[in-house]
Amino acid sequence: MSTPDADSTGSRTETDPREPTTGTTPDREVSRSANTFAGDAWVNFRRWTLKAVRNPFVLVVSLVQPVIFLVLFTEVFGNVAGAAVNRGIPGISYETYLVPAIAVQVALAAAVTSGVGLVNDIENGMFEKVLVSPMNRTAVFVGKTAAEVFRIAVQIAIILGLGVLLGAEIATGLVGAAGIVAVGVLFSLWFVAFSNALAVLTRDQESTIIGANLLQFPLLFLSSAFLPLEALPGWIRTFAALNPVTYGVDAARSIMLDRDVATVIEVTTFEGALNGVVPGVAVLAALDLVLGAVAVYLLSQATSSDVK
Amino acid sequence: MPRQRSDDPSDERRDGRRRTTADEGTAGRSAVAIDDLRLTYADGTEAVRGIDLTVPEGEFFGFLGPNGAGKTTTIKVLATLLSPTAGAVRVNGFDVASEPRRVRESIGYMAQETSVDPELTAEENVRFACEAYGVPRGDREDRIAELLDLVDLADVADKRAEEFSGGMKKRLDAATALVHEPPLVFLDEPTTGLDPKARNRLWDYFRRINDRGTTIFLTTQYLEEADQLCDRLAVVLDGELVAEGSPADLKRRVGGEVLDVELDLGGDTPDDGSDARERAARIAREVDAFADATVERTDDGISVTAETAREHGTDLLVALRDGGLTVTGFDVRAPTLDDVFLAITGEHIEDEVPAPDEGTGNGEVSR
Repeated sequence: MSTPDADSTGSRTETDPREPTTGTTPDREVSRSANTFAGDAWVNFRRWTLKAVRNPFVLVVSLVQPVIFLVLFTEVFGNVAGAAVNRGIPGISYETYLVPAIAVQVALAAAVTSGVGLVNDIENGMFEKVLVSPMNRTAVFVGKTAAEVFRIAVQIAIILGLGVLLGAEIATGLVGAAGIVAVGVLFSLWFVAFSNALAVLTRDQESTIIGANLLQFPLLFLSSAFLPLEALPGWIRTFAALNPVTYGVDAARSIMLDRDVATVIEVTTFEGALNGVVPGVAVLAALDLVLGAVAVYLLSQATSSDVK
Repeated sequence: MPRQRSDDPSDERRDGRRRTTADEGTAGRSAVAIDDLRLTYADGTEAVRGIDLTVPEGEFFGFLGPNGAGKTTTIKVLATLLSPTAGAVRVNGFDVASEPRRVRESIGYMAQETSVDPELTAEENVRFACEAYGVPRGDREDRIAELLDLVDLADVADKRAEEFSGGMKKRLDAATALVHEPPLVFLDEPTTGLDPKARNRLWDYFRRINDRGTTIFLTTQYLEEADQLCDRLAVVLDGELVAEGSPADLKRRVGGEVLDVELDLGGDTPDDGSDARERAARIAREVDAFADATVERTDDGISVTAETAREHGTDLLVALRDGGLTVTGFDVRAPTLDDVFLAITGEHIEDEVPAPDEGTGNGEVSR
């Protein structure tokens, strides 16, 4: 699957258009199969997935805090917050209201580890080892990111299961659950890009973790995650309108409740819950593209062999 | 960054030279052909200042020099990790600037810092390298077993690399650099920080790899290492080559053999000690046979390098005793590469550990 063996003869030597005319190319037999983009991506996907499984600590730690939030918030604030929630959206429990926010929190917490993984790779020399190999560099990062996205999806699924156990209801059922996972993944990408950018810039594990974690709580609390925006002071509402978390949570929550609960952008072109999902997804996709481009630029700077 | 300044008047000449180098490369099959390599970092540091170097296939080549001489910068250019500021560099016949991927496919590279994934087992590390270098699926398991066997890690194949000692990690690193059976392997200070036993073991593996026909380009600041392993050496200092030749050639340049004399330095005060060494050095130069010799003060006494050190050593010992100095020991030996370095540059190669005491006068040369 990763490297087709059919090409294992050194045939690329003859077919390369950049064949030097000086005739200095050794005609030595090359005992390798051609690397393909998909093959290189798959090899790296496997390495990072293996590392994640090897290191359940990482998997668990990024779940622990959201789980604590889920349990504590519903138990401690459940009655008070539930009343505030029901003023806007009657008839739902605080658990149901909170679970989509926790799903986004998981995505946020798990995305930090992407940058941490990159810093570790730089520190233990694997980064350079990969650069000196003939693997396609874009494929290397595609594979790594795919492994992280896969892990984030699994973690969000776990949180959704836990939420349902605690009494939350996903109005749209299993399809909705898959939708929430998809929104969570889409949400995670901008933060994955952000943590990788931090990693390249700081090249330091602590700085990357601290830098990313510092942002986590303000982002979560200054959004529609824990309480309806109507119940919050004006300045928070203003900040929340600019906060990606609001868009992720609103989209996920619209799926959870099967109704349009988008708090910032009012859209009525679609039917029902989609009016809440589409604007959030659109904003997140745009943000992913922008931050993704920044991270790709920084990574290509870090991997280029030009002396800077 | 431009690879060559276009306004450089020597461009034409350099192009002509490059063609010559390339032709020689075809005939003699050079694994590495460097023509006037220059590399300047963004902060203005001229790490490499015009190096010309050719390494024929099959050679065990040593790139010797102190810390900061430009060894790692050069090897990183050869491994396509850095682009040269100027100059033409061909590795296995491929140009590092225009054909980096072909270069990467055809070389093994072992970085100065041990590079293994600590969370993966030894076997998984080697397997990842196999996949990264596109080792055909059918060959992989055999190759992994063979390499783990080569570096004596077969019995810990399923253990994670984080549990390994420094020497074991280095050996694993070496194995991962060999998965695609590259005709050329770069080893950047492979034994730095290892204990002598682990180092000797690595040396055996490198010799074995070289015996299989693999060209080895090794950088080291250990003279003994270069002496033990290399067919040919280039000595680099401040980004320039200062000498080239076989270890024996370079030793010949020292001019003879070395007579080390240990003196009773009379008490603990370094001042008195210096005096004894100074007097001894003066006496040595007065011995007719050693008029042209290199006399150097050491920690324990003096050392005299001369063609006739063996024949006329006794004359010196007698003269020292007549001069009122007590000789506590002596030894006539072949020159080491440190002596070579001293002869070429007038400086000792700096050790990892800084000289413990400037006052001992170690490193001062008089003729």
